[in-house]
Amino acid sequence: MAFSYVSSAALLGLHVELVRVEADVSNGLPMFHMVGYLSSEVKEASERVRTAIHNSELSFPPKKTVINLSPATVKKKGPSFDLPIALSVLLSVGVIPPDCLRKTLVIGELSLDGRVRKVKGVLPVVLEAKKAGFCTCILPEENAAEGALVEDIQIIGTESLKEICLHLKGKQVIDACSHERKAGQRKPDGNSLADFSDIKGQETVKRAAEVAVAGGHNLLLMGPPGSGKSMIAGRIPTILPSPTREECIEITKIYSVLGMVDEEQPLIRTRPFRNVHHAATKAALIGGGAVPSPGEISLAHGGVLFLDELAEFQKPVLEVLRQPLEEHKIRISRSHGSYVFPADFILVAALNPCPCGNYPNMEKCTCSESQIRHYLGRISQPFLDRMDICVEVPGVRYEELSRKEAPEGSEDIRRRVCRAREIQRHRYQEMDISVNAMLGMKKIEKYCRLDQEGEVLMKRAFAALGLTARTYHKILKVARTIADLDESERVLPCHLGEAVGYRTIDKKYWGR
Amino acid sequence: MIYEYWFAGLKPLSDEKKKRLRGIFGSGRELFYLKEKELSALSFLTEKDREVLKKAKKDTELSENYEEIQKKGIRLLLCHNNSYPESLKKIKDHPYALYVKGKLPDGKRKAAAIVGARRCTPYGEEMARIYGYELARAGVEIISGMAKGIDGAGQRGALEAGGSTFAVLGCGVDICYPRDHIGLYMDIQQNGGILSEQCPGEPPLPCYFPQRNRIISALSDVILVMEAREKSGSLITADLGLEQGKDIYALPGPASSVLSAGCHRLISQGAGILLSPGELLNELNVRIVKLRENNNKEKKELETIENMVYSCLDLFPRSVDGIVSDTGLPPGKVLEILTTLEIKGMAKELSKGYYIKIM
Repeated sequence: MAFSYVSSAALLGLHVELVRVEADVSNGLPMFHMVGYLSSEVKEASERVRTAIHNSELSFPPKKTVINLSPATVKKKGPSFDLPIALSVLLSVGVIPPDCLRKTLVIGELSLDGRVRKVKGVLPVVLEAKKAGFCTCILPEENAAEGALVEDIQIIGTESLKEICLHLKGKQVIDACSHERKAGQRKPDGNSLADFSDIKGQETVKRAAEVAVAGGHNLLLMGPPGSGKSMIAGRIPTILPSPTREECIEITKIYSVLGMVDEEQPLIRTRPFRNVHHAATKAALIGGGAVPSPGEISLAHGGVLFLDELAEFQKPVLEVLRQPLEEHKIRISRSHGSYVFPADFILVAALNPCPCGNYPNMEKCTCSESQIRHYLGRISQPFLDRMDICVEVPGVRYEELSRKEAPEGSEDIRRRVCRAREIQRHRYQEMDISVNAMLGMKKIEKYCRLDQEGEVLMKRAFAALGLTARTYHKILKVARTIADLDESERVLPCHLGEAVGYRTIDKKYWGR
Repeated sequence: MIYEYWFAGLKPLSDEKKKRLRGIFGSGRELFYLKEKELSALSFLTEKDREVLKKAKKDTELSENYEEIQKKGIRLLLCHNNSYPESLKKIKDHPYALYVKGKLPDGKRKAAAIVGARRCTPYGEEMARIYGYELARAGVEIISGMAKGIDGAGQRGALEAGGSTFAVLGCGVDICYPRDHIGLYMDIQQNGGILSEQCPGEPPLPCYFPQRNRIISALSDVILVMEAREKSGSLITADLGLEQGKDIYALPGPASSVLSAGCHRLISQGAGILLSPGELLNELNVRIVKLRENNNKEKKELETIENMVYSCLDLFPRSVDGIVSDTGLPPGKVLEILTTLEIKGMAKELSKGYYIKIM
């Protein structure tokens, strides 16, 4: 009856820091004192813990209690320390047997009646616990399924403080949450209803989407209002290859930190599609906060980030995307350290060609040349240069809408995409890249080599179409993907020709 | 000459009165040193006009301004000068003064005005360019207003052919309006001239533009209206031209096009119809230089499949998707062919995914 400790963890962005919750109960004036660089939520734990212990019909002696959360250099936030604090106190006063929490990591929030409530970020914590050699994790019951995604570690889900105490005393053992139970059944997701066969006409755009997905290229859709830009973008996840289990865990981790994980079906099995409204702030997009939490670009990790009405976004907000688009991750720096979130996504953006949306139909377009230029001026050329593929989404004509035969469905497109991805994975297996979009300058030279005819074509295109060095490399990468879709080992002139057609717009020549 | 410059620049005085005053007194110098008594004896001047004359004499910056326009290479022509264009002299309300930067139209050569809408279709623009090119190649001078759209395209065509072209502006000749046409403005000075009745430094005010149209029509033998809405400034030019006894030609377009409605109206009223540059040159009695045919040769070199896509193209922008559904080719293939055509200079991507053909 004196000193004891329980292991827990603090979440810093996606990074998990293991924390030791120490309790010392000694003779002295009755008080409950907490130290260890705590934020106010953690300090409030003292009231919750004391009341919860009382209400769980457990004894709490009127003694001097000191709680320390170490290491004291790490700022502790959130209510997830309630349960470990309670257990460490109970351990100190001998309510639960010593050594019963060895190699066990505990997190959970307490309510006043002693119930254990769910917390955020369970998956990254359990992953870290496994890495650090813990054998058991005690989690809130509602989070148990999420924790059980990690194999080879025992997960105990508890509903109340009383229940877990009985378990630790060995009086009423809680069964460990099984890993299979949660991994098994698959709920049909809402997205499976959307399919590319819903889109009539728009053959060019569909093809462009296929190429973009196959090579992980960013896609810019331009077209008049109502032509189906958003509809097409929303169907892009249906042709993405299914994520592997590692990728699923990676994606779920991010959602877990934000508490966006489903209790019953914690594992996210579909690639995310994030449609961001143009009122988004920088922090919403890349992540933010004193201890940063992931933003939309990280939520789109492994999937698609869709920016509708690109020109309506604030210019500085778009500019912050430039770095993550190149590096596929985002580093947010704060005075106490920097946080890295993954941000490997396909950017799909939709844009009207002019304020009224009808350019170049001069009979309908009411915008002046300077209006058009001003409108596009809201997007910087460096940003446009990061869009590898740019296509027009024309308004659909009646004949196409009324056509009877069903267009090609997502499943067929996905099969081709998967094949192309397979070829790329095979080619880059010894490197840390998986798709053509990630090729660096040197690798482009190696893998996107043109034959003589292709060189001539490129040279002529360069002169005739006013290409720049930046667009040149983008075109080569896209051409490589088209060749992969064609299952051709070499990049042929026909692949190159198509890729040139997808090049991004150059504002210099716009609206003239 | 400085006095002439002073007198020509008296804005509030109408051209009519300037011509009369100049007729009575014979030189700008006389007018400058006009005595008050003589001035009040002129019954056709109002009190206000006299005030203007008196006040203008106190202009302290006169010599500086005059030096400046000379530095800029701007010449001043008065309506009784010999170098003043004959064709302009023929109209009743010819401007008292004409400022010129560059050359003047050669009165012995035929001149054609190419006018039309500023906001035009690529079809109109391309046709204006072709007519400008072919006429200039045959030695016809192209007169226009250097505006966006048809005007600029016609003049650019003329410059491409190495011909001479003249721009009549609605502002001072030292001001490039529209500003984007600075390249064209410089090129026209090399191969022709910039003309205006407004004195240098005068900003482009809306009221100047209809006035300058009479100069455009007066300087030309024929007026070609490429594209015009039902109510359009180009129709003013055509009307003025008609009054001045010029031949009007209009370019037909699709019956549904709002931008060709003005042209169709002109045709129904009896204007000539533009069939081809060759026929127009014939009617103008200009010896036809062999017309361009290089594209036909290149066309023969096209593969059948390329020819198929090329024939789907038009001077009105076509979307890639439209071509895909017309030809039945896969979209990737169509894009590839369009790129090849673009490289060969036979197609042009106007805005993303919209192509027109280049003739």
